[in-house]
Amino acid sequence: MEALFYVFSFIAIFSALMVVTMRNPLTSALYLVLCFFALAGFYVLLDMQFLAVMQILVYAGAIMVLVVLVIMLLNISKIKSVKTDLHQKIIGIAISLVLLVEIIFYIAYGTTKKPTGIFTHSVIDKIGNTRVVGEFLFTKYMLSFEIASILLFVAIIGAYLFAKKKF
Amino acid sequence: MNNYLIVAGIIFCIGALGVLMRKNLIIVFMSLELMFNAANLGFVAVSDRLNLISGDIFVIFVMVVAAAEAAVALGIIVAFYREKGTIDIDKANELKN
Repeated sequence: MEALFYVFSFIAIFSALMVVTMRNPLTSALYLVLCFFALAGFYVLLDMQFLAVMQILVYAGAIMVLVVLVIMLLNISKIKSVKTDLHQKIIGIAISLVLLVEIIFYIAYGTTKKPTGIFTHSVIDKIGNTRVVGEFLFTKYMLSFEIASILLFVAIIGAYLFAKKKF
Repeated sequence: MNNYLIVAGIIFCIGALGVLMRKNLIIVFMSLELMFNAANLGFVAVSDRLNLISGDIFVIFVMVVAAAEAAVALGIIVAFYREKGTIDIDKANELKN
C-alpha cells in the first residue's frame, strides 16, 4: 500500500508538471489523462472504488474526449505558438511557490479532529461502496441531486448558444 | 491523511502555476481541471480520515459541475477562436481601451 502510494504520487506530480510545461496542447491533454488515472489509483487506495470508476468515466473519458475534440477542431498545430514572456513566468512561479509553502505549513502544523463518523473501511465494505454512496445521494442529498440535474440542463443550453454561429 | 493532502497541495499549486503562466487557452483550461482534481483528492482524504461519507458525495457534485463547466468553457473557446482566429489569452483585451 505504502509503495503504491509513492508510485501514484510520483506519476500524478510528474504528469501534472508535464501538463503545464509541454508546448503542444495534445501532449498535455494525454499527460492529463495519465494524471487522472493516477488520481483514480489514489481513490482505490482510500477505499472509494466507486469514485475511482467515476473519475475514469467522467474525467478521463468524457471531459478529455471533449478537450481532444476541440483541439482537433481548432487545428492547433497550424496556429503559431505564443511564447510566455519572462516576467509573467517569474510572477507565476513565485505566486505558486508561496501558495505551496502556505499549504504545506498549514498541513504540517494544523491539528486534525478526531474521527466522528461511523463509516470506517470495514463498515463501508460490509454494506458495499456503491450502495453507501447511492443511499446518501438519494436520501440526504436529494435536493442537491435535483439541482445538479438542472445545472446540467442549463450547461447544455449554454454550450449550444456559445457554439452557435451568431449570438 | 497528511501525505494525501500534501500531494493534493502540490498538484493544486502546479495547476495554479499553469493558470498564471501559460497563454494558450486550452492549457489554461486543463490546468483548471488539475486544480479541481486536487481539491477532490483533498475531500476524499479528509472524509476517509474522519470516517464520513459527505466528502465523497461532494466529490460527485464537483464532477457534475466540472462536466458542465467543461462543456460551456469549450464552447467559449470555440467562439473565441472563431472571433479572433487565435487562442492566445492576451488577445482577449477588448475591455482594455
